[in-house]
Amino acid sequence: MTEPKFYSKEWADAVRDALAAGPSASARAGKLQEYWDLFEFIKGVYPASWALGCRDLPAELRDSPAYLVVRWGGGQVAECQISGPDEPFDASYVLAMDYADWKALHEGYDAQRTVMYRKILLEHGNLLDFFKAIYFFVECLGVIGAVPAYYPEPAGR
Amino acid sequence: MTERKSPTAVLHEGPRALSEEQVREIEDSDLSAVLNVDIDDVIEYVHKDLKSLPDFTTLYRRYLKQRWDVYDLDFSQDKIDWNEKMTEAERESFMAIASGFHHGERQVEIELPVFMIGASEEEKIHIAAQIEDEARHTVFFDRFYREVVGLQGADIMEILDASFPWVSETFVGPFGLLAYQADEVRRNPYDERARVRYGTNYFLWIEGVLALSVMKVTLSYARWRGFLPAYYTGFTATCRDESRHVQGGMRYLQDAVRKDATMINEFHATLRTILALSGVASREIIYEPLGWTLGEVRMLFFQQLRRKLNDVGIDLAPDIEKMLAQVQPVLAGG
Repeated sequence: MTEPKFYSKEWADAVRDALAAGPSASARAGKLQEYWDLFEFIKGVYPASWALGCRDLPAELRDSPAYLVVRWGGGQVAECQISGPDEPFDASYVLAMDYADWKALHEGYDAQRTVMYRKILLEHGNLLDFFKAIYFFVECLGVIGAVPAYYPEPAGR
Repeated sequence: MTERKSPTAVLHEGPRALSEEQVREIEDSDLSAVLNVDIDDVIEYVHKDLKSLPDFTTLYRRYLKQRWDVYDLDFSQDKIDWNEKMTEAERESFMAIASGFHHGERQVEIELPVFMIGASEEEKIHIAAQIEDEARHTVFFDRFYREVVGLQGADIMEILDASFPWVSETFVGPFGLLAYQADEVRRNPYDERARVRYGTNYFLWIEGVLALSVMKVTLSYARWRGFLPAYYTGFTATCRDESRHVQGGMRYLQDAVRKDATMINEFHATLRTILALSGVASREIIYEPLGWTLGEVRMLFFQQLRRKLNDVGIDLAPDIEKMLAQVQPVLAGG
């Protein structure tokens, strides 16, 4: 089966399923239950949405910037879709990252340092409110990065 | 190192006044004499001036007298202690705690320059010195991890990558927040409210509470056991540097709230987020091999926070007092 292209509708559908399933057993291993209890608690009540942008997608994928809009509600992923540069969207928090960093995340770079080293940045939304759920966000970012997809080499490489 | 009191003895002693001789010893010791300075005295020294905070020029003059050369340290005895005297349990506990500091020093180095833009001229000079301090502390940990622990790497980032597996997942709470706050200040360097939120996390929480608590745990262990003399020397000198940073940071926050009383709302909002993040751990850190229990670390943690707030005269909102009573913050790996 062919892997969906990064930032395609099929990829967004796979992301929705992966977020619904949550972090893998290997991601959960070695972390305390209280940490996952908090994760599940936040997941159950999280009322916000993320627009996760890629600033410089390879032309063969789609025009940039594009956003993956993830809306949470009732403990479920209520919406998970791609929004292109000319398509309006509404999200509590808008974040963006360069393609090379998305690709690195997919290839195993950890989500914690992706945030801590400011590879992904908050462009819109209340920072202090966003960080109240940062462990939930980081774990979900790791899940999103791990979703199988076709990531072409950037132009010029 | 003549005195060998238990690592946690100071928890039960409470605040105390330092003699003039003790203050002179802390302020004037060169690097070779720092080995003889008691870490408990240095942590007490951090609080000495909090009630009448020194100005930034005074802090800069202290920096010029107290700066030290990280390449003067000789880690050869530390390597022997690490490999031949410390137990596996001691090494594992030490790594679990010190690795947060390894990464924390790097974070507070690289996230500070943007804060300088909106500062007064005198504070800019103090911040410039602080950036140099933090860079030196980053090199100190890089040397410790290479020369004592034995991690391999071609450059500073490779050593950071090599110690990262010991860093707790919750590290991203305060340090990720700092990174994003630095970006907020970068975009609007004269936004005083953003600067107060940044300063609350950086100067009060990360430096004043997290850093001093972690320093105390590993340094009192080293002093108690008589191990790791270069680590003790360099990190105690680091703690003396941190006293200037905490005092400068508290001075900034106190001035900001005095100029505009509504700034206390930014302070409180930041603390609400920090406390919301601080009630959970992702890993079990075993403190006992270093002479501590989790309960004693928590006590130390709360002591550090309360003393800063009391000394600087910043009141907490009732809901934050309630949060403090409810959460049991744990060291977020740094």
